[in-house]
Amino acid sequence: MRASRRDFLKGIGAAAVAAAGAPAIVSAQARKGVPSDPVKLGVLAIRAGIAAPVGTAGLRGTEWWADRVNNGGGILGRKVQLVVEEESNPKDTVERYRKLVLQEKVDVVLGGISTGVTLALGTVAEDLATPWLSWDGTTQKGVEETMPNPKWAFKSVDNEVEAIVAGMLTPKYFKGIKTVAGIGNDYSYGHDCWQSYQAVLKRYIPDVKFVLELFPKLGVTDFTSHIAAIQQSKADLLMCSFWSGDATIIMKQAAAVGLFKTMKGVFTTVGGVHDSLKKDFTPEGLLLGYNTMYFDDPKGSPLLKQFVREYKAKYNEYPPYECDHAYFNAESYKAAVEKAYASAQEWPSKAQVVKALEGIEVESLSGRRGWREDHVQMCNFYQGLTTHKNAYDFATINPIEVVSTKQAMKPAGAKLFDWINSWKI
Amino acid sequence: MIQHVVSVLMSGIFHASILFLVSAGLQVVFGVQKIFNLACGSFYALGAYVGVSAVQAYAAAGGPPAFFIVPLVLGGLLIGIVGVVVERGLLRFVYDRDETFQLLLTFALVLMLEDAIRLTWGTSPLSTGGMYLVYGQVRILGAAVPVYNLIVIAASLAIAVGIGALLTRTAFGRIIRAAAGNREMAEALGVDMRRLYAVVFTLGTALGTIGGALVIPATAAMSEMGIELIVEAFAVVVIGGLGSMRGAFVGALVVGVLRAVAISVYPELEMLLIYLIVIAVLVLRPRGLFGAAATAT
Amino acid sequence: MTGRLGLAVAVAAVAAVPSVAPTYHVLLMLPFMAYGVVLLGLNLLFGYTGLVSFGHALFIGIGAYTGAFLTSNFGVRSLEAIVLTAALLGAVVAAPVATLCVRYVKIYFGMLTLAFGMVFYTFVLKFYRLTGGDEGIPYLRPSLLGFGLEGIPKTDYLTGPYYYYSLVVLVLAAAVMWRIVRSPFGLCLKTIRDNPAKAETLGIGVGRYRWYAFMISAVYASVGGALLGAPIGNVDPTLVYWTHSGNIVFMTLLGGFASFFGPILGAFVFIYLEDFLKSLAPSYWRLIFGALLAAIVIFAPGGLMGLVRRARPLRAA
Repeated sequence: MRASRRDFLKGIGAAAVAAAGAPAIVSAQARKGVPSDPVKLGVLAIRAGIAAPVGTAGLRGTEWWADRVNNGGGILGRKVQLVVEEESNPKDTVERYRKLVLQEKVDVVLGGISTGVTLALGTVAEDLATPWLSWDGTTQKGVEETMPNPKWAFKSVDNEVEAIVAGMLTPKYFKGIKTVAGIGNDYSYGHDCWQSYQAVLKRYIPDVKFVLELFPKLGVTDFTSHIAAIQQSKADLLMCSFWSGDATIIMKQAAAVGLFKTMKGVFTTVGGVHDSLKKDFTPEGLLLGYNTMYFDDPKGSPLLKQFVREYKAKYNEYPPYECDHAYFNAESYKAAVEKAYASAQEWPSKAQVVKALEGIEVESLSGRRGWREDHVQMCNFYQGLTTHKNAYDFATINPIEVVSTKQAMKPAGAKLFDWINSWKI
Repeated sequence: MIQHVVSVLMSGIFHASILFLVSAGLQVVFGVQKIFNLACGSFYALGAYVGVSAVQAYAAAGGPPAFFIVPLVLGGLLIGIVGVVVERGLLRFVYDRDETFQLLLTFALVLMLEDAIRLTWGTSPLSTGGMYLVYGQVRILGAAVPVYNLIVIAASLAIAVGIGALLTRTAFGRIIRAAAGNREMAEALGVDMRRLYAVVFTLGTALGTIGGALVIPATAAMSEMGIELIVEAFAVVVIGGLGSMRGAFVGALVVGVLRAVAISVYPELEMLLIYLIVIAVLVLRPRGLFGAAATAT
Repeated sequence: MTGRLGLAVAVAAVAAVPSVAPTYHVLLMLPFMAYGVVLLGLNLLFGYTGLVSFGHALFIGIGAYTGAFLTSNFGVRSLEAIVLTAALLGAVVAAPVATLCVRYVKIYFGMLTLAFGMVFYTFVLKFYRLTGGDEGIPYLRPSLLGFGLEGIPKTDYLTGPYYYYSLVVLVLAAAVMWRIVRSPFGLCLKTIRDNPAKAETLGIGVGRYRWYAFMISAVYASVGGALLGAPIGNVDPTLVYWTHSGNIVFMTLLGGFASFFGPILGAFVFIYLEDFLKSLAPSYWRLIFGALLAAIVIFAPGGLMGLVRRARPLRAA
């Protein structure tokens, strides 16, 4: 249906251009009740620090989406204009958010990755009555305590989902696991992942022992001491929730001492830097998590393939999952606007857009995904065992497990650990 | 058990080697110019990024992996030239000012270098890939130790010895020590302070950039890595004593090994332990283990 | 007299902002006022006593976390209670810290304060069960003079009652600090700054006076921190990182540490300049800021007030 509308718009535009004799594309495609000026979308992207790689990826994904939409005539004929501000620490990001809404007068804010920031933004978003679609950054606390019933804020998937999926897949791929060591960054995400992983694994392997837990702070670049401690623990398996450059580093340093020759490895979120995991130091047989998008999905849509191709051509890198979150958020906004327009017959108000977003599903880079009624993302998670049998110089996964948030994310209103303990194994 | 102790020790000493190089850069500058260079971490980051680029260019040009260490070290060494630019272009204007202003100028440098690095190399973590493993590993008392780590430790030791020799055996070294001890006297005796300062600052910068370049094969170059490191380097020079090379050496060992032991035995403590030692040293023996007397009223 | 008039005009202008300026700019004034309070204290230590602290974000953090703890964990919403508790806690923490730090000057003082700041940062980050770690603790909307004001949207609350409350706190803080620096105590501090040996011979206990200056500056920073946290709504460890301490020293220098109002001016210029640059050059605003700081240090160490003084010849006080 979208394709035909695009053709329809193009037809109208062409006719109007021919008639007016001037390339006033925007006004030519004006529809009933739709303003002719561009629609402003605010974007908060991390530019510095450890999360900079995923922040950059999210921005690139949004820009690619915007170019694509604009080439197709915009949203209901209105061009999309991105207004980008930096996500840094909570205090400064709250100020930039306020600027986007109050000064730049954007219709929606996209973005938000870091946990501390998204927690602060939640209440601000509610106060400023503008939809906010967050890319990432939702921990249990954010879901349960500070934003139990958001009206304007749309939260990312619970952060622990990938740890839960990893916990489900561990007993499937690794038999005879009795002892487990864990390493994660020393902040909410690292701790929450470890706790969720432990809770899930215990359901499948009741007498599993957790022999070591290490939480180096974010930004550490030398894990030789940590690896020494992990080796000493003689655990059967190491679970690691790093997602940035530190994942590459620990993989390298582990390979240098042959850690994974005698130990199994589970890397829940390494998809953030997947193309830096070169074959030289990333062994086969590790369980790797790619969050919601696996760039080389054999079942991937033409959209995904095109995106990967163009991303690689432009940036000489392969896209990580944040691109999918970013694309989905932007695309769902567009779909919501179109859906609300269909009934209102004029450009929808922010409240109408919010209503249309609830329950919506769109075609994102990774496939179909949507917003649950309680403003949480619903999508698929990709994890699998590393293999070197590919055309790249880095490891990829085969076989690929696809687990939906319907299975791996707690339902609306449930408490995480109660829900895990209620599973029928 | 012995294997584990060796593992912990070796990892601590590896970390200490890098810390020593960066701290040595800090010390030589503080010793002579009495400036605490907050940007030493940024120089370290710069050396890391340049090192990666050098190795990547080398690999793309088809250079044999076994010699990758050559472009790496050369890259790290050559970018040290930035020190001359910074010293002549920025620092020399504030030599007659209060220490605080000098410190703030180096803080300004931190800000500028952060963006400059990001604009040049982007935000994705950059690494030299598998080059790290090219030399394989050895077993020391049962513990597997990457040979590259041993090379870095050896290089760091060699540089330490070299600096020691420079300071104690050469005429230039004597001039440096004289200027560190008493600036006015040295000047009165005919030392060209302008040239000396430029050389010393460049030396300090180069030590930082080499440290960054040497460590990068084992890790990855990441955004804001410099800002993180400054805090550890700071701990090293406080414990060792501001301005002392021996202090940098011993301080680096203390911080590196203690950190490794803490991670092994009581991971919760890690950095907290180091800070508490810093405070204890500053309070009980502010000049550190080897430093000159602290300026107290 | 023109000084007094100028001051009155400035205060009136600030008071008029919510009526004339766009909402976003009114909101920007809030951190300006909070930092104004912090810097009044910091400059007592820097400009008047000659000690540069690189760890004052510690006290900003104490103030902000006090507000967060009281509103979230203890159900205390009164901003008066928060400010007073913040001041008290700031003093309690400053007492031992000051005792250790004021024995040293210049670089050692700076280093020791930086170390303390980072210890607090590490503590707040690591002991997440107590402090929320990186997630921080919510700082719920405080009540002003007993009025809960929950009915009005937070933005209206911030640009209205909270704005004027902050302004009153800033003016009061400035008035008190003015008396302090004009008093014999203030004169002693200046003597200590310029010539500690002479001060000793005059019978001024150098260590003791520095200690008092440190305590007062810590209390001011805590109060400022309490004001800074409320508009954010969530308090987290990044408020205590050493670069935050560096930024407030930057603000002081920018405005001019040798003048009473310099730092406040510095806070104003810093905040607006940062806002302007972040939108103008999101990829390299830090580069420009760093260059600006370098330029000030090299060419205008007296800051903006210093430039103003150079432009106008000295007049009788």
